[in-house]
Amino acid sequence: MPRATNAPASRERRKRVLDQAKGYRGRRSKLFRYAKDATMKGKYWAYRDRKTRKRNFRMLWIQRLNAAVRAHGMTYSRFAEGLKVAGILLDRKILSDLAITDEASFKSIVEQVKGALEGKSKKAA
Amino acid sequence: MKTFSAKANEVPRKWWIIDAKDQILGRVAVKAANLLRGKEKVIYTPHVDTGDFVVVINAEKVRLTGKKEEQKTYMSFSGFVGGHKSETARARRARHPELLVERAVRGMIPHNKLGRSVYRKLKVYKGGLHPHTSQQPATVSLP
Repeated sequence: MPRATNAPASRERRKRVLDQAKGYRGRRSKLFRYAKDATMKGKYWAYRDRKTRKRNFRMLWIQRLNAAVRAHGMTYSRFAEGLKVAGILLDRKILSDLAITDEASFKSIVEQVKGALEGKSKKAA
Repeated sequence: MKTFSAKANEVPRKWWIIDAKDQILGRVAVKAANLLRGKEKVIYTPHVDTGDFVVVINAEKVRLTGKKEEQKTYMSFSGFVGGHKSETARARRARHPELLVERAVRGMIPHNKLGRSVYRKLKVYKGGLHPHTSQQPATVSLP
């Protein structure tokens, strides 16, 4: 009985993997054996990193906001508390962008937050 | 909306001067490290050096708390048998006082390529004089 391996399909499959591995370093883009591993890993990291990207950006916005509010004599922690008290619903992305592009309006937000915090501490006392 | 990302050649850079006289070593180093990395700027971007230049003067007059002057030891190992050297903070202060501040700051900066280029913006001098007067460094007030 002759051996049938369906070479066209195998070739197609290997070609697909090698095409996906274009631009990889060294043999990872040239040899199917290593390209297969590289593309699988690549998809694995890409899937995971689509999720961590959201966390990473939030962390960056918070770091920037912390720098911005510290210039006004506040810490990020107090600022976040005050945002809630003042009922400001802007998210960290918008706030950090405001701090970079529109200093004046960011300053007015900080003032509002400070006012709200003072009101809160008075109420507690 | 795309999050702002700083460009290395567009970062505005300032010069700062810290007088370490009678200041606690760690407090000086934190301030210097944050300024060098740009963590106090709104445009801070992790993969770009957004920091300023920092000059530290009077490095030999920096203060250590507690018994660290005697007990804190700096160790190095050359890789050879018997290549272990150690030195107390007091000995190091006498031999090369700039190293105290330099090492403390380096420990607070990322240990990678970016960290090394960030670190090169730190200039530490013993005594009150420094050769960066034409950069007109602004004084940092430590609490």
